[in-house]
Amino acid sequence: MTYQLPRRDMFKMAGGAFAGAWLLTGCGSSGGGSSSGVEYWGAFPTPETEEYFRSQFIDTFNESTEHSVSMSTKQLTDLASLTDTAVSSGNAPDIIYSPGPSTSVNYAQGLKTLELDDYATEYGWEDRLLPWATQLSRVEDRLHSVPTSYGSTVLYYNRAVFEDNGWTPPTTKAEFEDLCEDADSKGMIPVGAGNSGYPAQSEWYLTCLLNAGLGPHFLYSVLTGDRDWSDPAVVDLIQSMKSQLDKGWWGGGADRYFTNTDPDMCTGLATGEVAMYMSGTWSFSSMGSFFTDSGNDPEDWDWAPLPSLADDVDPGVFPLAIGTALSIDSGSSDPDAAAAFLDHIMGDTTRSLEYLAVQGENPPPVAYEASDFPEDTDPRVQRLYEEIPESTNIGYASWTFLPPETNTALYTEFDKVITGDMSPKEYTEVLDSTFHQELGAGASPAPFTPQ
Amino acid sequence: MSTTTLVAGGGTATSRPSPVRTNRRRRLTGLLFLAPLLIVNVLVIAGPALTSVAYSFTDWDGINPPSFVGWDNYAALAGDEAFVSALGHNLLWTLFFLTVPMSMGLLGAYLLSRIRRGRLLFQTLFFIPYVVATVVSAAVWRQILSPTAGIIPVLDSFGVPGMDGLNPLGDPELALGAIALINNWQWWGFLVMLFLAAMQSVNPALYEAARLDGAGRWREFWHVTLPGIRPTLVFLLLMTIIWSFLVFDYVYILTQGGPAGSTDMLSTLLYRTAFGEGRAGHASAVGVVMALISATTIAGYLVLRRRLRWEV
Repeated sequence: MTYQLPRRDMFKMAGGAFAGAWLLTGCGSSGGGSSSGVEYWGAFPTPETEEYFRSQFIDTFNESTEHSVSMSTKQLTDLASLTDTAVSSGNAPDIIYSPGPSTSVNYAQGLKTLELDDYATEYGWEDRLLPWATQLSRVEDRLHSVPTSYGSTVLYYNRAVFEDNGWTPPTTKAEFEDLCEDADSKGMIPVGAGNSGYPAQSEWYLTCLLNAGLGPHFLYSVLTGDRDWSDPAVVDLIQSMKSQLDKGWWGGGADRYFTNTDPDMCTGLATGEVAMYMSGTWSFSSMGSFFTDSGNDPEDWDWAPLPSLADDVDPGVFPLAIGTALSIDSGSSDPDAAAAFLDHIMGDTTRSLEYLAVQGENPPPVAYEASDFPEDTDPRVQRLYEEIPESTNIGYASWTFLPPETNTALYTEFDKVITGDMSPKEYTEVLDSTFHQELGAGASPAPFTPQ
Repeated sequence: MSTTTLVAGGGTATSRPSPVRTNRRRRLTGLLFLAPLLIVNVLVIAGPALTSVAYSFTDWDGINPPSFVGWDNYAALAGDEAFVSALGHNLLWTLFFLTVPMSMGLLGAYLLSRIRRGRLLFQTLFFIPYVVATVVSAAVWRQILSPTAGIIPVLDSFGVPGMDGLNPLGDPELALGAIALINNWQWWGFLVMLFLAAMQSVNPALYEAARLDGAGRWREFWHVTLPGIRPTLVFLLLMTIIWSFLVFDYVYILTQGGPAGSTDMLSTLLYRTAFGEGRAGHASAVGVVMALISATTIAGYLVLRRRLRWEV
């Protein structure tokens, strides 16, 4: 049996189908650049941090200016890839997030972000930002992003455990190795390490190793292409770490490296099973909780600058890392408002340092005076942001200064060195070829000149 | 359907619309019913799929304008150790899931079909893992298999041999097998349910006839049960091959392709290449290869079905 549809119903159905298609198309094209204010995507480690940011940065901006900004919260782990997709499809929010300069360089080269030099002059950003941060944010001598948080990698340790064992934080290679041997003989893991759950974790250790074992000047020449990654000094350094891994010094050995997590190592530090841990200063906000949760005193954790891992490298290098860099979408309908919001985020020292004191979130790369810090700032945290601007021993974090493919190779290929499937020389050769390809394509961020 | 029309000059006459017009109208009606689905398909499947094919011939970082490189991405895949290794892992995965869970599912369903009391209890127990969210079961299994906090150190403390230093997810030799077993833990109960439903639709008279002819349990299973559930079995074999080349969730959650690429699959490689390394053109080529493998599998199935005259 068949049914003939009356012509009027057919038109109704056709209309419905086109309306559906129009709606779908509409859904696909919604995105940033709306005229209802500045759109900002944020991601936070905890709901409390998000609430704090919303009240102290978003609401205060909306209340104190004629502009308005609306924040959409994303998952911390997804923000970078979501932004990539949005930028690529032309639907980016007005403020474009990037986890470091290597990504913002890419956006700038694709003309996806606006030049910010005029805004920098208007708001005086370059006077406030530390010189290395400004240099890093430039692409072909034009400012394309503003760093809003920065940190470093340091050596964490447990003061109580160090006192019990008569140790002091190592500053030289010999002291570091002596302490590792002593800790190993006492059944401890000398240096926490592992990459379970987050394979890129290896980049933290490699950043520490490269900076402490080669020094900023050597590393600068590698990052500018004047020296090769396969230079014997780099090969020897990777070989020394491999030997130490095989002895069980890093993470308890190769057999445990791939199942150790960052929380495992922080907990181990609190319980005395791990003697030292080289990690980022983002752990400042959470380290105390590992001590509390394991029944230890949260006042016991402390940090020291990285030791020197070579005779010709000064101890105490601080590899610098940009945690967040913000740009303005080239298609933004209100770039002036977006720039005003950028200034609101990074231009008020008091607000930034309150955020650091209350939530432990890293502040923008600005020179701070001791008197700038709120009274309730953890002195261990304050010390870092007082020491870095004073230091002349400033290095480079891989995720900030390496182009994306080279940085991915840095930690994915290193797995093969650990398992013995690749020699340190082969590893550095892979890095070398990948890096030079990206350097040639202009995808490598310009490193600041070491002091 | 006929229509009645008034004829000029008085009276009525019954007239039939021309067959050509009726057919055209019928086709149009069908197309209009299909239109919403078709539009959705074009927008969210065909469009991106064709775009991916186009991008696979470009050098594209996902942000800047792509540049045409011809077959370079495909040529690079042939010499790409990571790709070859991931493809090998997918093949091993397919082999495992075509044999182990299938056998377990068939055996479980057959045994359940033989019992009446307690069947529902076993069905529920077998099916529970399937309804647990992947991310939850993966997290639980990671904890269970932890070399420091899981069951292994406990078993080692009881002197169970082979437990000392065992690290299933951290050992490149064991990690892929460990993930496959974890995935199978969740998967095989679902197969039991599907096979059991299929077995219950087999005509009982066939079993009676087989028994009258003196067939034992094995012959009964081989000559009655298996042919009776062939549509379900063939469909699941086909889908197992396709799903095995799309596997992502357990691998990504448990090891993200590590250690040292020992659990890398085409899907995790694609994800890392596109979003970690910014090589979207190269990643598109990996995606096209994955789609071709699935298409070849389906084509093979269709050819077999026609040649063997399967009524599936």
